[in-house]
Amino acid sequence: MERGGGIRCRGVACAVLTLLLLGPASRVSGLSITVNNLECLYEYVFNEGDSVSGSFVVVDHDIFWSSDHPGIDFTITSPAGDVIDTLKGASDGKFDFHAPKSGMYKFCFHNRHSTTESVSFYIHVGHIPSEHDLAKDEHLDPINVKIAKLREAMESITAEQMYFKAREARHRHTNESTRRRVIFYTVGEYLLLALVSTLQVAYIRRLFSKSVSYNRV
Amino acid sequence: MKLVEAAAVILVAFVVAPAVRGLWVDLPSTGTKCVSEELHNHVVVLGDYHSFFGQNDDVNYTVSPSISVKVTSPYGNNLYHQEKVSYGQFSFTATETGSYTACFTVDGEQHGGKTVTVGIDWKTGISAKDWDSVAKKEKIEGLELELKKLEGIVQAIRDNMNYMMSREMDMREVSETANSRVARFSIMSLGICIVTSVSQSLYLRRYFRKKKLI
Repeated sequence: MERGGGIRCRGVACAVLTLLLLGPASRVSGLSITVNNLECLYEYVFNEGDSVSGSFVVVDHDIFWSSDHPGIDFTITSPAGDVIDTLKGASDGKFDFHAPKSGMYKFCFHNRHSTTESVSFYIHVGHIPSEHDLAKDEHLDPINVKIAKLREAMESITAEQMYFKAREARHRHTNESTRRRVIFYTVGEYLLLALVSTLQVAYIRRLFSKSVSYNRV
Repeated sequence: MKLVEAAAVILVAFVVAPAVRGLWVDLPSTGTKCVSEELHNHVVVLGDYHSFFGQNDDVNYTVSPSISVKVTSPYGNNLYHQEKVSYGQFSFTATETGSYTACFTVDGEQHGGKTVTVGIDWKTGISAKDWDSVAKKEKIEGLELELKKLEGIVQAIRDNMNYMMSREMDMREVSETANSRVARFSIMSLGICIVTSVSQSLYLRRYFRKKKLI
């Protein structure tokens, strides 16, 4: 929620309200965290009806030659304890809901496999002033509602960009790993081939050498 | 009375507001919990952290656990390091492209079995911009400031798009070199295989002729 038309706000309550409400709507968290088994993150939603949106992308580190990524389980729990959304075995996902009540929301990642996975997630909590807020604070213009809607639309573009950026990062890791593997394995292959062929020749020579046995072959 | 009330409200606001803003992460009792983000050059990062006991709404503000915080750059440079603190703030400008990590460790065993939670408010780029100083400098307020913020967001979206396009270009180069390398190295491998087997056969034929076995 953005502050009203002018900085003519009077009173302590307005200052407190501003302090409490100015921050959250503009907050973005685009972080990566490693998940060994279960990892839970908490985000506070101030107002009921706020739109909570976000995405997560899993980067699996130690998958060697399986192309089937096991994925991760993702659960969103409301402050009352109900599960709002759940995704099983997903390697990336998006979520978008309106908070049924204000409070602490829990976002949990559950890794069923022994390999450590790192999850890059993004959560955005947006607030658009409603009629009730307009009635409560006389310094809030209807135009603030439009500005808030515009801002939320742009934040949704930013959210899409963060999702795309995380997926691109994962793709980049795969590409760089492919390039490293191509070089490493082909050079190793050449060396091994040279070694094996010389060993073969040496072995056959030894079979025919006089010291081993004279007339066996 | 009013003044005392007002002061109390402001005090509560300052205590409560930073405590509920930001993402909360539970720290393991031993070991380190790290969060990271991939950033490119010239991005401003502002981080606020505070630690407390308890989970969800069951927070106890009277006792604060002490944690140690370490922020490192992708090449291992130490950007911020504090031991035995329970809250603080760090800020830096990214000079290298890569993954910046902030690690939190619980100090010692003083918590007695309770979970230590850290609230992290990590802001990058446009969210880390100090709009109050911009408002003061350009003497704008209210609606004009809001529209300026929107302009900032649009600019940030554009910059992000440009950055992602340049990343995609780099990645395309990597893919294409890998593609050409696969073809080249496989044909070379086939050639080496043929050369090796032919030279082996010729060598052995010469050897057996020398030994008068053929």
